[in-house]
Amino acid sequence: GAQAQEVTWRVPTSVPEGSPFYVNFLERFADNVGLLTDGAVEIQPFGAGILVPALQVYDGVKDGIVEAGHSTPSYLVNQDPVNAIFAGFPGGMGPEAYSTWIFEEGGKEKLAEIRAEEGLKSLVVGIGSSEIMAHANKPIKSAADLKGLKYRTSGPWAEVMRDYFDAVPTVVPPGEIYTLLERKGVDAIEWGPPSGNLPEGFHEAAPYIVVPGVHQPTFLWEVVVKQETWDALDEALRAKIEAAAELTTLQSLVHFYDQDMKAMETLRASKAEVIELDAAFQKELSDAGRDWIKKTAEAQKAEGKPRMAEILEGYFAYEDRWAEQSGYLIRNEK
Amino acid sequence: MLIAGLMFPALFALILLGLPIAFSLTIVAVGAGLAAFGSVAFNQLYGSFYSASTNFILSAIPMFILMGALLERSGIAERLFRVMNLWLSRLPGGLALATIAMGAIFAAAAGVVGAVEVMIGMMAIPAMQKARYGNTLIAGTICAGGSLGTMIPPSVIAVMYASLAQMSVGKLLAGMMLPGLLMVVLFLAYIFIHGLLYPAKPDDDDPVEEPVELAEKLRLTATVLLPVVLLIVAVLGSILAGIASPTEAAAVGAAGAIVLCIVNQRFSIAMLRESLAITVRISAMILLIVAAGTMFMGAFAANGGARLIREVIDGAGLGPTGMIVFFLAVVFILGFVLDWTANVLICVPLFTPFIRAAGIDPVWFATLVLIVIQTGYLTPPMASSIFYLKSIAPPNMTYGQMCRGVLPFILLQVLTLLLVVAFPALATWLPDRIVGF
Amino acid sequence: MKRAVLAVADRISASLNIVAQAMVLILIASMLYEVVARYVFGAPTLWAFDIAYMSTGVLFVLGAAQALREDAHVRIDFLSSRLPKRVRGAIDGLAFLVVLFPVFVWLASIAGQRAWRAWMTGEVEHVSPWAPLMWPFYSALAIGLCALALQLFAEGLRALTDPRDDDSCKIET
Ligand code: NA
Ligand code: NA
Repeated sequence: GAQAQEVTWRVPTSVPEGSPFYVNFLERFADNVGLLTDGAVEIQPFGAGILVPALQVYDGVKDGIVEAGHSTPSYLVNQDPVNAIFAGFPGGMGPEAYSTWIFEEGGKEKLAEIRAEEGLKSLVVGIGSSEIMAHANKPIKSAADLKGLKYRTSGPWAEVMRDYFDAVPTVVPPGEIYTLLERKGVDAIEWGPPSGNLPEGFHEAAPYIVVPGVHQPTFLWEVVVKQETWDALDEALRAKIEAAAELTTLQSLVHFYDQDMKAMETLRASKAEVIELDAAFQKELSDAGRDWIKKTAEAQKAEGKPRMAEILEGYFAYEDRWAEQSGYLIRNEK
Repeated sequence: MLIAGLMFPALFALILLGLPIAFSLTIVAVGAGLAAFGSVAFNQLYGSFYSASTNFILSAIPMFILMGALLERSGIAERLFRVMNLWLSRLPGGLALATIAMGAIFAAAAGVVGAVEVMIGMMAIPAMQKARYGNTLIAGTICAGGSLGTMIPPSVIAVMYASLAQMSVGKLLAGMMLPGLLMVVLFLAYIFIHGLLYPAKPDDDDPVEEPVELAEKLRLTATVLLPVVLLIVAVLGSILAGIASPTEAAAVGAAGAIVLCIVNQRFSIAMLRESLAITVRISAMILLIVAAGTMFMGAFAANGGARLIREVIDGAGLGPTGMIVFFLAVVFILGFVLDWTANVLICVPLFTPFIRAAGIDPVWFATLVLIVIQTGYLTPPMASSIFYLKSIAPPNMTYGQMCRGVLPFILLQVLTLLLVVAFPALATWLPDRIVGF
Repeated sequence: MKRAVLAVADRISASLNIVAQAMVLILIASMLYEVVARYVFGAPTLWAFDIAYMSTGVLFVLGAAQALREDAHVRIDFLSSRLPKRVRGAIDGLAFLVVLFPVFVWLASIAGQRAWRAWMTGEVEHVSPWAPLMWPFYSALAIGLCALALQLFAEGLRALTDPRDDDSCKIET
């Protein structure tokens, strides 16, 4: 550009500096923004808890402490369950279908609408692959194995486990998960995708690894900017930042796949046994998750908030079409 | 970045003016925060304060302090040390050796430095003074023993480090085990030799201890020492058996101490209230420093502190050795003012990419960093260990004595560091052998 | 007037300190209950973790003012103790009254606004499956910061008008 606009944004995220989400999503976004805007916009990433509390990134942006923030709708589910659709939920779409829904079927516009009500501009920056369902001290192969299982998990999955399978969701703070799993204080834990779990060393602490991640088939992170900060940018820059966000999301998803495949290779080669759930049990788990979110949306509707049910209807229609038609896709399964 | 660089001298100046550490940190954080955030600076500072106020890891601190306060106030600690003295009085530096051993044991349980130091200090200082140990040795022993929580697994610092550096927690905990043990052994050896050279000398007007018969010794041991050992077993055992997490084990310890007081008929509401008052006072002191340190860290980062460090690394063109030395120096200097959480949060992500690129063994490097963090915690003039000791020290123990007291232990930590540098296998041999189920 | 201010500040700090002491017991009880519930009953709670971190936060914030009253916030005084006591009093007094009092009033007001917002929006814990309302916790932080600001004012007055001559941080143990 002839007239370089100098914009610097301090952007805190909800995970520590150096973690895969930080590097793969936020740092990549900072690089892409610098590249596409010829350096006119500088994104300065900050790890969790340095500039604003880890779980209050959205508030930090609203309060004007930072120009933009990077976080996940997961942390807003307790405030408004509609966020569960975007955060990824048990029985929901996997990364392929979900990212297609986000970009092609208006998913990201719906998210942007919701954020706009709070005065925030939303940019999807990061969609992830499936998580590992459990690192466990006991084998999990059927619903019977879940009964009474002390399972560190959170969010919708905790409710599904408790209400549909009589498992015992357990709250364990991050710093104590490894110790408690290793000492068999809990029977199972879930954390992140394979490439996120590998460095945590959970496969060295517990003998079973349960996949696939029906509890969290995918997940989404976004960068939010205060609307007036966003509007103050000239149109060309806004378009370039949008492009950088989309580029980052697609690049990082592919990168996650690659890292996860390599991580799974290492996990399978480790002493821990990888258990792949059979199709029937997977369906049982997924159906419970879908039932949970449908009930939640109905409850919202009854409270006079029909939006969640509306979005969910479109979401499920898309998921169904994908399920019925995707048989033509080559996935290179063994 | 100029402001980030000025934050440290400003802080030193305020502290030397005699202002409380927590408030000195706050003032500098506010100044630097205003420069970085303008009118919303206080929203940001409150956010940092909030982060510290909601940090679950810190929950162990009040519980361990209460445990120490109860054992001290009830007189159980005094009797405990008297019984230990019966057995150890002929052993040079016996009580100091016992104190270090206790530090190591509770370090294994707590993993949070500071809490253990205060707890052990409350119990051991009166006993050691009574046995006429010198104030410098007492101060050094308490600070050094209490700092072992960094190096002895399961250390919360190590877990956090591993998570930030994207490395295996189990491998790091295993890697630190031998260096941690080595450090304990060096501490014990030093105290033993010190005790040989400068035995504790009773004053002339001290009451002469009647020789105690073996049967009486055994009876006292069974009634006094054994219950405390059981308490320690309960705390450690509950972690090892997977019954409790390290933080929950602190609750087991505090509750166990109450039970012990009741069983010994030393329990009273007045005693409990006194112990609670001490607990709140010291916890508030420690946690306000942590909260102010978190504000300081936020302002430091927002003013480009991390970039400042990164640019020095890039600009200096250091080789692997120079880089390691520089990193350890940064950890050491930040350790003067930041509590370990803030220190690890800033440094580990900053260093990890460089360490990985240079092909340096991450477990070995992490062990070095943790030893240095522990050394920084001990090194005057700005040493958390001494701040905490000051909060429980009797009036006749001076700041000068504390500084002189920690000196030998600092040297021993540096020796441990050099040994791990010279023989990396100390840190790298064990992890591959014992990690796994 | 001055005596009234000091008395009010001291009284408030002492009362909040009692609440802080109760928090220690609540912290221990919640953690112990969690151990028993998980290990013995196989039915861990969803709330113990939240109660634990909140009671820790509350106990230290509510205890900070009384700790200041007792001069328990550690300082390094090996240099300042050589200054005349009037000079030391002036340093403390100015720092407390002119700098720290407004700083903590401001922090307390932000804390108050956060509590108010949490009350108005019905904010719940972000990630906890228990999802407790957050305004009580925010309010406790605001109250503690207010008390600390007030006590800073009181100690600043004391330092200026009646500086203590003894070495600080002497706590009976
Ligand atoms: Na997860
Ligand atoms: Na230090």
